[in-house]
Amino acid sequence: MTGDVAPAGSAQDADRPFSKWAMVAGHLTKSFPGVRALDDVSVSIYAGEIAALLGQNGAGKSTLIQVMSGFHPAGSYSGRIELGGNDYRPADTAAAEQAGVVLVPQEVSVVSQMSVAENICLNAEPTRWGFVDVSLRLAKAQAALLDFELDVDPHREMGSLDLATQQLIVIARALSKNLKLLILDEPTAALTERESLRLFDRIRTLRARGVASIFVSHRLSEVFSISDRIIVMRDGHIRGDHVTNEVSRADVVAEMLGHARVETQSRPARRAGDAALEVRRLTVFDESAEHRVKVDGLSLAVAKGEVVGLYGLLGSGCVEAALAIYGAWRGVVDAEIAVLGDPVSVAGPPQAIALGLGLMAQDRRDCLIQDQSILDNMMMATIAKGIGLQSLDIAERRRLAISLMKTLRIKAESVDAEMRTLSGGNQQKVQIGRWLAAGAQILILVDPTRGVDVGARGEINRIWSRLSENGHAILIASSDAEELVDVCHRVIVMRNGRKVGELSGATLNEKELLRMAADG
Amino acid sequence: MVDSVSPPKINGELSAMVQRALANRAHLARAATLRDSMLLMVLAGVWAFFYFATDGTFLTQRNLLLLALQTSIVSLAAISAVMLIVTRNFDLSVGSAVAFVGVILALLTVKYDVNPWISVIAAVSGGVAMGVWQGLWVARIGVSSFIVTLAGMLYFRGLSMIATNGATVAPLPDALTDLATGFLSPALSISLIVVFLGGYLALRISELNRARSLGLAPQFGADLFSATLPAAVATVVGIWIVSRQGIPYLVLLVAICATAAELLMRRTRYGARLYAIGGNPEAARLSGINVKQAIFWNFVIAGFGYGITGVALTARVSGAIGGTAGLFLELDAIAAAIIGGTSLSGGRGRVIGALLGALLMGSLNNGMSLMNVPTFYQNTARGVVLLLAVAIDHIGRARRFGR
Repeated sequence: MTGDVAPAGSAQDADRPFSKWAMVAGHLTKSFPGVRALDDVSVSIYAGEIAALLGQNGAGKSTLIQVMSGFHPAGSYSGRIELGGNDYRPADTAAAEQAGVVLVPQEVSVVSQMSVAENICLNAEPTRWGFVDVSLRLAKAQAALLDFELDVDPHREMGSLDLATQQLIVIARALSKNLKLLILDEPTAALTERESLRLFDRIRTLRARGVASIFVSHRLSEVFSISDRIIVMRDGHIRGDHVTNEVSRADVVAEMLGHARVETQSRPARRAGDAALEVRRLTVFDESAEHRVKVDGLSLAVAKGEVVGLYGLLGSGCVEAALAIYGAWRGVVDAEIAVLGDPVSVAGPPQAIALGLGLMAQDRRDCLIQDQSILDNMMMATIAKGIGLQSLDIAERRRLAISLMKTLRIKAESVDAEMRTLSGGNQQKVQIGRWLAAGAQILILVDPTRGVDVGARGEINRIWSRLSENGHAILIASSDAEELVDVCHRVIVMRNGRKVGELSGATLNEKELLRMAADG
Repeated sequence: MVDSVSPPKINGELSAMVQRALANRAHLARAATLRDSMLLMVLAGVWAFFYFATDGTFLTQRNLLLLALQTSIVSLAAISAVMLIVTRNFDLSVGSAVAFVGVILALLTVKYDVNPWISVIAAVSGGVAMGVWQGLWVARIGVSSFIVTLAGMLYFRGLSMIATNGATVAPLPDALTDLATGFLSPALSISLIVVFLGGYLALRISELNRARSLGLAPQFGADLFSATLPAAVATVVGIWIVSRQGIPYLVLLVAICATAAELLMRRTRYGARLYAIGGNPEAARLSGINVKQAIFWNFVIAGFGYGITGVALTARVSGAIGGTAGLFLELDAIAAAIIGGTSLSGGRGRVIGALLGALLMGSLNNGMSLMNVPTFYQNTARGVVLLLAVAIDHIGRARRFGR
């Protein structure tokens, strides 16, 4: 499809509910160093249509919506976009909003110290005699809220409202500005089921006004229940473009995955011993809103020598569960935890480390000090022990670091090399080394191969196998199905904070994982 | 099919629905009121204490005027401190910059015999130039304001000493000294206060009228009353204080600057931008706000503040002392802003609060001096007050958000 094929006004077809293009994008290509994020992508959205954009991480969804919303300015990509029949070349997000295209990012961006009214009119305050017309601002905000049927007091401070309401207010704000295309990036990731329903209820009302919406989602059930069209992306290409009620879930999942993956041979045989870590009825509350439950009554056990996966999509609660077990979650946590059969209480990372636990967090930047050496980073968990007055055994530290560097095959000049000079894969290995140096027997890993290239990924996965053979217990929380299928003995699947199933042996495959995690 | 959404139109007449919805929102009050009244209560408590501890000397017209004068320099500096802290920026250079402005003024008038008014303009321009200079480093080059102004604190002080060779440059021409130490006649002062009250009320009424015409303020009388009462009380107290000697010109200057700053912050788009930038820079950027430009002007305004404060301080002491003029002014200004409810994490803070904060600190100094408390104890007391004020604020806010 080319950019100028929009059959403007020509479609009199009564069968089709949509007849007018909101946006027509043709031959979009956008490259970043080393990767072609969008490769000749053509896509069109009808006015009044709700399109779901699906794809795995790295499929190009984010880049596509960022191009559409002016985040990547016109000129930084090739191809052309028409909006309502006119050439659309936004220089930035503000210009895009001016033209009627608004992106609501995954992390809702509001000024929480300001009132709802101030947020709605931000940088578009009505003025009178050069001064802000406070009363008119209030009236405009109230009108925008009513227009979207939101019962919110415009005086209220934004920060005192829950996330879903904040999100709805951001949409109401966009609506008050001549909206043509609304783009929602994983709008339900941070929401509870009830809140999601409210959000979608509102989005449906936009359809009647001729506003087109594109939303990115991983949850197949909501995709099928709300969208008119499903667009599937993979590797920078559009792999499927279907009217929603003409396609099956299985087909969509197949298009997302691309190929039926062959059962991997590399999966280690299960050699589980005694239980190393047992968690019963783990409940994790949001750190700022205590009524919001992130993990609801999760129970799991990891035996010595076992690798257990905890799989769930963004917002499923598996990351929160991993942090909570390690005692690093900032909100309220309620659980019974036993280590090697003994009931323990993990009040925080110091206790966790003393009990032989170790954590690799989702973001390497949270765990590693980039300006310090491999040696310093590896020894960080050992210096956490005790009251801190023991003298450092410099020679022993160095010997241990060098030997770990060899065992883990970390590629660097020496243990004194700065962290920043290492590749992602090698940085992750330093983290592994840290916990081996601290003598951790139970490793909790969150997305351990995120941002690690394929070669290093295989190498790191082999390290897990080796460690489990040596009796380590390993729990991997990840949203990467492929990785878990490769290395885990069994995988627990989470959705909306709850355990929804467990897969092991022959039933453990990517397709089944994705189906369980996404099905609502 | 509708082409696109038509945004709700409001032209004086608002739909009955909006009116009904807003009629249910009884309060036009702000969440910050509670905190402001708490600060007022603390201030009242401190004043009552000093009233009894000094056998009434503290609350005489004479002493209250002295207190206002003593507070004026810190108040001036606190105004721009609030504006900067609201956008998460710091200014550690105020004290030194003010000293440098003073040196410019004193050298021009005393050493080179330049016309006093031209010298004032030159000195204020010098302050603005310093603001532009620091703003360029922060906004264009991206050095953190803490570092830029820490450096400024050092070299502005150094330049002041170099220019004067460490000596005091005095005395300033009488025209300037009189201005800083003079008083407006009592009759004029009272009429000015009444005019000021009138202006304030006219503004409130016009806003309330506007709100009513848009269907926003059903309880017109109650809103007007709650807006008028504190102003009326302040007016009566103000008239009593100035009825004998009149308003010092310096205090008048503070009032003008504070009013202008308050209007800029609360009633202009630029002010709304500053609050948005401090509250959530990313949200501000995505709303199309030019963050760098706003921060740059933030520093230019601060520079104008150096000019005004420098001239006022130098005229008040009738000379420039490069080494010690304005020493620790930046810390007093930041303390006043914080006691007045300005949040160090940005997005929150009011000029009027900072004035109250400065008044509280000034009251402690003044009262303890009247009681002949040694300076060492005064510093200790001020430190404790600062700590308590911020702690109370933090606890109060944490409770409000249910944590």
